[in-house]
Amino acid sequence: MPKKRSQVNDIDRSLYDIRNSEQEAERLSAGLTPQIVREISKRKDEPQWMLDFRLKSLEIYQSMPTPSWGPALDGLDMDNIVTYVKPNTSQQSDWESVPDDIKSTFERLGIPEAERSYLAGVGAQYDSELVYHNMQDTAAKMGIVYSGIEEALREPRWEELIRSKFMTLIPPADHKFAALHGAVWSGGSFVYVPAGVKLDFPLQSYFRLNARGAGQFEHTLIIVEDDADLHFIEGCSAPKYNVANLHAGAVELFVGKRAHLRYSTIENWSKNMYNLNTKRARVDAEGEIEWISGSFGSHVGYLYPMSVLAGRRSRSSFTGITFAGAGQNLDTGCKVVLAAPETSATVETKGISKGGGVQTFRSSVVATPAARDSTVSVSCQSLMLDDISRSDTIPAMDIRAKNVDIGHEATIGRIGDDKVFYLMSRGVSEEEARTMIVNGFAEPVSKELPLEYAVEMNNLIKLEMEGAIG
Amino acid sequence: MQNSFAAGATAQEAPKAITVNAMPAATWGWLKMNDAEAAVPAHLASAPNAARLEVEVNGKTVNPTRDADAFERALDSAAGRYALAQRLGAGDAAQQPSRQSATPEKELDATALSSYQSGALDLERTYTPARAFKTGMGHEGFGYLSEVSRGPHLIAAPAHASVCATLHVCGAPGAAAVGAVDVVASEGSNVSITIALDSPDEGEGIVGSAVRVLAGKGARVSIACIQTLADGYTALDDTGMFLAEGAQASVRHDVLGAGASFTGLSADLRGDESRATVNVNYLGARSQTRDFNYEITHRGRNTESNISANGVLAGESKKCLRGTIDLTHGCKGSQGTEHETVLLADERVRNKSVPVILCDEDEVAGNHGATIGHIRADQLLYLTCRGISEDAAEELFIRAKLEDAAIAAPSRAARAGIVRLGKRMFDDFEESLGEEIA
Repeated sequence: MPKKRSQVNDIDRSLYDIRNSEQEAERLSAGLTPQIVREISKRKDEPQWMLDFRLKSLEIYQSMPTPSWGPALDGLDMDNIVTYVKPNTSQQSDWESVPDDIKSTFERLGIPEAERSYLAGVGAQYDSELVYHNMQDTAAKMGIVYSGIEEALREPRWEELIRSKFMTLIPPADHKFAALHGAVWSGGSFVYVPAGVKLDFPLQSYFRLNARGAGQFEHTLIIVEDDADLHFIEGCSAPKYNVANLHAGAVELFVGKRAHLRYSTIENWSKNMYNLNTKRARVDAEGEIEWISGSFGSHVGYLYPMSVLAGRRSRSSFTGITFAGAGQNLDTGCKVVLAAPETSATVETKGISKGGGVQTFRSSVVATPAARDSTVSVSCQSLMLDDISRSDTIPAMDIRAKNVDIGHEATIGRIGDDKVFYLMSRGVSEEEARTMIVNGFAEPVSKELPLEYAVEMNNLIKLEMEGAIG
Repeated sequence: MQNSFAAGATAQEAPKAITVNAMPAATWGWLKMNDAEAAVPAHLASAPNAARLEVEVNGKTVNPTRDADAFERALDSAAGRYALAQRLGAGDAAQQPSRQSATPEKELDATALSSYQSGALDLERTYTPARAFKTGMGHEGFGYLSEVSRGPHLIAAPAHASVCATLHVCGAPGAAAVGAVDVVASEGSNVSITIALDSPDEGEGIVGSAVRVLAGKGARVSIACIQTLADGYTALDDTGMFLAEGAQASVRHDVLGAGASFTGLSADLRGDESRATVNVNYLGARSQTRDFNYEITHRGRNTESNISANGVLAGESKKCLRGTIDLTHGCKGSQGTEHETVLLADERVRNKSVPVILCDEDEVAGNHGATIGHIRADQLLYLTCRGISEDAAEELFIRAKLEDAAIAAPSRAARAGIVRLGKRMFDDFEESLGEEIA
């Protein structure tokens, strides 16, 4: 009798699949032209340098080849992507002023409730613009700035600072979709945490893409000054359409001396999304960046948060999980550049693939000659839940420094029979045993998430046992 | 990674770059790890009688023959035994449509595979041993070696026979010396091949080997390649293997010399319960470059592979090692393991490693581990307390690597090459080995 396989349910996406009417939204034409870029800049009343920057980025975009090493991007035709969609509202600071359909969407996603419960501030973006932004007075009194980046750019106090940092960690020439971002970016958040300030509650940005066939290109810029501390959470979702949508955001993080920044993300785009997002952090002496990353959605994902450890004894940790189901090819991982002495980095990732999904762990660790006496530890584990899925591991290491110790381990496999046997010998049923093992596999990541997100993640990988896996 | 060969070449001998050692599933281009470029003079003469092959079958010396097509014929004759349906159980066959659901009409429902992933799926559907066969260095590298070698020698091992062969390739200044060997090991045979790549101390040139192996059911093939070229020479060592049911291949590469060396190996573990073991020992010194590409593709059930690389990098040497364990669909019960240990004995060295596991099957295990580091502070303290300086300690590791290779050398000729190389670095190297070894 053939062995019966258990099924791991696809994610119940009904919560995320709410589609609102676009009747009152303003859409620019699909495609990518200098005229469209000028129009976006004009609508935002930007300084000339930003328009010049956008047009230069467009030139770079048009001159760069499409990446050939990752998941196919054939289904992404920029001529069919609308790069700017303005919702029928301006940015509000109270939910009651947000149009009902948009407010209702965010309520279903639990954002206002989370804000009331445990967040120090929330930014909510809908298509190309922020529709809500608010921060608690206590955080404001501490000198923390959390606003829309476009709003901050219009303030003389912040314009120079933003100009000095904007797309310096992720220059447009970095890759084709960084250039695209530079040309058509819209929305996103600006966070400034003054020196010595430690915020006990997280700030959160949520990105919702409702428009069919559109792109979202928000820019997040966070500056955490010396000795400061911040936890920032990023969430995203979209309803599913039968045409491609695109997300090409950019996140630039500057972590000062002895400062600490935790950046948590639950990425849950719909399965028609091309998620080509870029995230990068620069960490000064004795500072620390922690990346917590859960990737569950998207048709295609290219996501590799990068830490540049620029100061002595700076640290980076990356904890991530990727769950690829039917129709998904999620190419995720991280990059670390050790560019100063006595730096350290840890990478711990988990990958699960099922139902024909493909997940790839891709990483790079580069130790420059300045990185003497540094250490790196990389651990990557992948779990195959059936034999029609795929899991690849492509880590790269480039070491050119003295006294650098690199430890790397990677394993790919299915649930071990010995582990199931061990649990069964202690009275646990086979189905329970396998469920426990899968949950335990994801636990190192879920335990790092805020409770609400951990619950969401567990729901996302909920198992329905029916016989045995494997 | 590029070699610096032909820095002094004349205009007529302007080197051309051939792309070698491309890893099957590429990573970011900016890392410059996906492949290597080997500079070879466009019209370098083949060294006459550079490659010498000695073959013994069941203890009797035989004259090696040349038959350029024998290997292809053997591969073609194996094709019928490996139809796709044969290796898939009923349950797997039922699931095949799920793996092939990509249609243009439902593009967003189908998984958007990378070029490697879709190529692997195509090969799975159209597999024949000949179509899948490749060498580690790839088409351009193998093509160059084949051209220079003027055709392969054939080692045809009859069923259950024992064959012992030695290929000695000695470089010559201003020439390309390449030995090419095709091995067709019949069922139950046992083939052992020693390859010594050597050169004079002076001059510049290319020295290489091109080896193709078809190991029949239950055959055992062992290859030991010891490369001891002087710095003026570039080494190109390329191997491709096909293993049938229960066949076993054991490969040892000792890469000790040459200004630039390029080593590639690809093995197709097509037969159930076939097994490949690869041990790589390398030493980089001065401004030498070392470039490796190992690909083990598991296709049969219950196959097993093990890649173990161990090296010391000193001076301003550079090294890149790509190791890919590819667990393809249908290779249930298979296991692939790769481990690399690199000692960085100088702060000017550059080490690149790309250990890749590709997995298209659930009932498998793929593991990789790497340890890259310098002499640890506690180790150094221990040695310093005994009067050994940091420089001397690093020298100790280099010497140990050479001594280990000399002790394990499978032939007198290979050992002589290692000793000659060691003497160039350490005046007392021969004496330190002891008479019985040297």
